[in-house]
Amino acid sequence: MYKRLELHNHTTESDGSMTCRELADYMKGDGVDAFALTDHNTISGHEKMRRLLSETQTGVEAGAQTAVEVGTESGSGNSHGNHGGQVSCIYGMEYTTYYGHILCLNLKEYVPWENIDRQHPERLFLAARAKGALVGVAHPFSLGAPFSKGCRFEMELTDFACVDFIEIFNDYEPLHQVNEPGLRWWEELVLSGHPIAATCGMDLHGRLPFAGQYATYINGRPEGVIADELEAAIHSQKTWVSRGPLLLSEVDHQNGLLRFSILQTGKNGYDFSCHPPYFIELTARKGAIIHKVQTPESHKTESSSSKGQPPYDAFTAATALELPLEELHGEGIVIPKLYEADVTLENLLCTAPAVLIK
Amino acid sequence: MKEMQEGSLVDGLVDGSVDGSVELGAATDGMKTDLKQLYHADGQLNRGFTGQISYTVCLERPYEALLIRFSFNKQHHERVTKELRDEITNQLLQGGHAIPTVCELDQMILSGTKTEIHTLASLNDVFIGGIHRQLTTREMYFSYDKATEGCIPQPCIKGVLKVTVLVFQVIEDGTDYQLQVFVR
Repeated sequence: MYKRLELHNHTTESDGSMTCRELADYMKGDGVDAFALTDHNTISGHEKMRRLLSETQTGVEAGAQTAVEVGTESGSGNSHGNHGGQVSCIYGMEYTTYYGHILCLNLKEYVPWENIDRQHPERLFLAARAKGALVGVAHPFSLGAPFSKGCRFEMELTDFACVDFIEIFNDYEPLHQVNEPGLRWWEELVLSGHPIAATCGMDLHGRLPFAGQYATYINGRPEGVIADELEAAIHSQKTWVSRGPLLLSEVDHQNGLLRFSILQTGKNGYDFSCHPPYFIELTARKGAIIHKVQTPESHKTESSSSKGQPPYDAFTAATALELPLEELHGEGIVIPKLYEADVTLENLLCTAPAVLIK
Repeated sequence: MKEMQEGSLVDGLVDGSVDGSVELGAATDGMKTDLKQLYHADGQLNRGFTGQISYTVCLERPYEALLIRFSFNKQHHERVTKELRDEITNQLLQGGHAIPTVCELDQMILSGTKTEIHTLASLNDVFIGGIHRQLTTREMYFSYDKATEGCIPQPCIKGVLKVTVLVFQVIEDGTDYQLQVFVR
């Protein structure tokens, strides 16, 4: 199964408007499988969230996660619900520094950041990592000073081996000014051989709608420990950033093929019953290859619910494209992306994990 | 201190129960009068400063409650000058952003640019709280079962307290700040 994660959220513990309980309810109400608690420069919400989730627990406390059932907030506009009615918390923090925001996930204890050195930021990344956290850059191209000092990533990183992920979409930031350069930066690093995962986040400070926004997806098991699954996904760069469908790939060396399939997630806001022409773009160092996907009737996603909507966990797949490996002209890494209607950024549906061809 | 925004002492308390069932402003005057000032410091920041100032307070005996109060003034520009317009325009250009009209620019300067200072506290080198909200007056209250949002209740308040003033941006010279530490 694939799990939908919301990896960037704030509460009243910093400058958000929802309490921990309200945030958990809000996530549950939209069918989120797991959400991160990433308040600015504080971990004061961790214990509150653990206790809150334990009070209503139907799951089992396991390491850095709790998976529990919480009340469903009314009016959140999603009828899908999540897997087994449980929502898990990923404990983290947004290190909000003078020179950029660093998201830490699976953070078990506070790591001081105040002595951040703009010229040697790796020290902070490594210090958080040494405590077992996953460390990434949030909204790298946000508007910074003089309006929001520190929001733009201005650290002079030279060793990208200390970066686990980059938030390529910060959902409510401007698409072309902020998110597009973030996506391009991540692509450039990945195609240069840096094993960095892509994530996204709502950067939720209040009740903003999830519909039509990107979420991060990872592979997991219904009873899986989300902290472990997230760590495995980030470390293997197996993360999808999607507004609905997931683009899956498989390298078939025996037959010399790169095979793609499209899976629907039922994410709120994406009309999976409508099938516009899909396009798959493969970005490589030398350029991009674009293929229009032929979706025969028999390969379209089938609905298994009476209301024409699949249950949230009913992922279905069909082979969408088979591409001879020789068409890649010896490229070692490609980044697949799925679009609808055309290949403009406005129509980008899913950024998939990079595919290692060799 | 002129222009300081006066907030209620111990505002924004949250108890140790799940998700903070104590509403903002629920603190009592009794808490306020019980507290005595242990430390006071003030200073002035120059425009352009980024960094932190730390104050270390040795607590000579255990306390059951701790309140840290921090305030500063000149959060926003009071008027727009030609020099300010030019400076902000240059910064926008350097950042690759579109240049707004003069009217929009003035509005951005008056409401969008700000002095931003946050606070962090540790006890015996362990993090106990951070307040990251755009406030000119903030309080961090700790007791064994209550703490301001952003802070962690402390079963035993003793040892060495460090308060760090995190200065993200200062937009006006002569920005005054004041730090007070109260205990019970």
